[in-house]
Amino acid sequence: MKGWSVARLDNMSEKGNAAGPHDSQQAPLLVAPGEDLGDSEGYEVGHGVIVMDGRLRATKQGQMKKDGKSVSILPSRTKYFPRPGDLVIGLVEGCTNNIWFVDIGAPFNAILPMSLGPAKMEFGGTRSVIDIGEAILCRVQEVEETHSSVVTMKGMGLRKIRSGTVEDIDPHLLGRLIGRQGKALRQLKEDTECRVVAAENGRIWIDGDFEGMLEVRTRLRKMTAEAKAATPGGVA
Amino acid sequence: MSIPLVPQLLRSHLIELAENDQRLDGRGQWDGREVQLEVGILANAEGSAKVRMGDTIVYAGVKFQTMTPYSDRPNQGGLMCSAELRPVAGRQHEPGPPSPESIELGRVVDRGIRESGCIDTEALCIIPGEKAWQVILDLYAISDDGNLFDAFALAGIAALRNSVIPLAKFELGEDIPLNVSKTPIMCSYHRVGGRYVYDASGREELGGDERIHITLGADAHVHSLQKGLKGTFTAGEFADLMKQARTKGDELRDLVHSLEGGN
Amino acid sequence: MGYGDVQMIDENGIRVDGRKAGDVRPISIELGVVPVADGSCRMTWGTNEVIVAVYGPMEAHPRKIQRQDRAVLDVRYNMAPFSTSDRIRPGFNRRSREISKVTSDALESVVLLELYPRSKIRVEIEIICAEAGTRCVGLTAASVALADAGIPMTDLVVSVASGKINGVVVCDLNKSEDNYGEADLPMGILPNSGELSFLQMDGDLSQEEFQEAWDYNMEAAMVIGGYCAEALKNGGYNL
Repeated sequence: MKGWSVARLDNMSEKGNAAGPHDSQQAPLLVAPGEDLGDSEGYEVGHGVIVMDGRLRATKQGQMKKDGKSVSILPSRTKYFPRPGDLVIGLVEGCTNNIWFVDIGAPFNAILPMSLGPAKMEFGGTRSVIDIGEAILCRVQEVEETHSSVVTMKGMGLRKIRSGTVEDIDPHLLGRLIGRQGKALRQLKEDTECRVVAAENGRIWIDGDFEGMLEVRTRLRKMTAEAKAATPGGVA
Repeated sequence: MSIPLVPQLLRSHLIELAENDQRLDGRGQWDGREVQLEVGILANAEGSAKVRMGDTIVYAGVKFQTMTPYSDRPNQGGLMCSAELRPVAGRQHEPGPPSPESIELGRVVDRGIRESGCIDTEALCIIPGEKAWQVILDLYAISDDGNLFDAFALAGIAALRNSVIPLAKFELGEDIPLNVSKTPIMCSYHRVGGRYVYDASGREELGGDERIHITLGADAHVHSLQKGLKGTFTAGEFADLMKQARTKGDELRDLVHSLEGGN
Repeated sequence: MGYGDVQMIDENGIRVDGRKAGDVRPISIELGVVPVADGSCRMTWGTNEVIVAVYGPMEAHPRKIQRQDRAVLDVRYNMAPFSTSDRIRPGFNRRSREISKVTSDALESVVLLELYPRSKIRVEIEIICAEAGTRCVGLTAASVALADAGIPMTDLVVSVASGKINGVVVCDLNKSEDNYGEADLPMGILPNSGELSFLQMDGDLSQEEFQEAWDYNMEAAMVIGGYCAEALKNGGYNL
């Protein structure tokens, strides 16, 4: 059972196009795992599609997107798998003398080595710099083939999160949240007067007054429910 | 059950919310989530109920078995409550022997029902010294988003009150309803962000501290109490909770009674 | 194993529950019934009620179950104490352990495990109400729950058990037919390819009877596979 090419979710379209009706292509077709999607000749496989015996086959349920060159599925549930360069919000779950173990919402925890930490520090002083249970804004530096990764806090804007709250959404909804060229996200920030940072792992840092934060949370919930209703395959 | 990590940000956010009389999902301090209660939904159980509180979902099933009465109580049958927190209910619930948390959960719910005396164990006697009914209440969590205590307690009493003794199956006569003389209702309060709230959600429990469970009867009689986890409370705080438990308890009691045929 | 004198099918070919030999019991499928899970499915099938929740992929703990080259499925089949006429005491149960294993083998045959090395995917199968064929309902609901969770699979797995009662081969045994019948053939079928990933059999069937029961299962699996696909696309089937 080797030799499939399986691609990441956003190989198929920009983030801004991630959900909702598509004007440029055929009407969206809902598919379930195992369904035949046609002859594989001439097509590149995208997310959720494999080639078996010369035929395209769906491996996930969701909307099929097929244009002249590639076929992929927009699934109704997504999990986060790290990629180098991703901005992520992590939760420190443990540490040794010189490494922090960070939960980034992926199957495997990431590692933040002391050398990539936020400040110059002595060996053994990890907890005084970032304690267990603290949240950090960091970037994925590298990913090995089993999806475990190294993150760094060296970089612009990367820091400990000291105030506000962190909410979770499925990563494939980030496109909807951010909007074309970031328009929807900017609108949300204006309307609620909150700082809203959307990380690639589907975690959203919200900071502001609590009414604003409640409003952001409410809108996130509404967005998730609407997305579920628009691409059926999950009961809200 | 693995002990989940408590994010510090969650705790500080909950404190900020509490200081401004707010909760994560916008509820008031004493507001519960929407409650859905169904009874008689399990075909192979002699009594059953399903409760949904927010995203917490539990089943309760009542089964009857015959038992030999204990020698020191020859005229009495028995009531047994068993609570299972299976891995299906949440990522943090791992397979293995029952955790201390789930054992406490089962025992607290058991006491709330048993100690009210709502089941007359003498009425369960079939042949003195030889045979009696054992009523077994099994509580089963399917989805855990906080406050399993109240969900289990509500499902448990609703299932018992809708149970039928299966005399026919045991060739002892015709089926008759189980007589449950009271409707004890449990209300649980968690200290979240420094103050007590009713019906804590999963995230509130995660970022919260100690909890208090109060089970009352219709006449505001106190049937059972339990305080769990680390922390202290004042007499004044407790008096507030008792007052809240009376009002909310009456509301939930009415809900249970509304599903019984002309009771 | 059969009690030949219990009459379960009459001279017109009508079974005790009104079905004809080839009929399947009524089925409903609901998704997302365990809101805290990554994916979930509730199936009712006759009087059977089964709920399956899926969690993962996650790091495989304990270490000893981890595989470097692929994910493992951590499947638990369990019957609730109130699911059967006689109460089942909670605790270790050999039958449940065996069913968990064969269900895991059946599902591992379709999940793209190589995509998630060193991970595990938990599949929690809970039988809430039992009426014959629970292993079949459990396996079918589990494959739908995995799809609901977005776990990539080459196909669904649909499982049905056909058998023989009073010398007549019938599809989808109910409780008394399972208890008093002469044979039981549960199969797990991939509806889009017709291949099998699960097979067991007990009883006495001639080669012709075996073929009949096999064919009943295959036909039923295609139809039920359609219900599952419809449920995945619409959020539910026959609710």
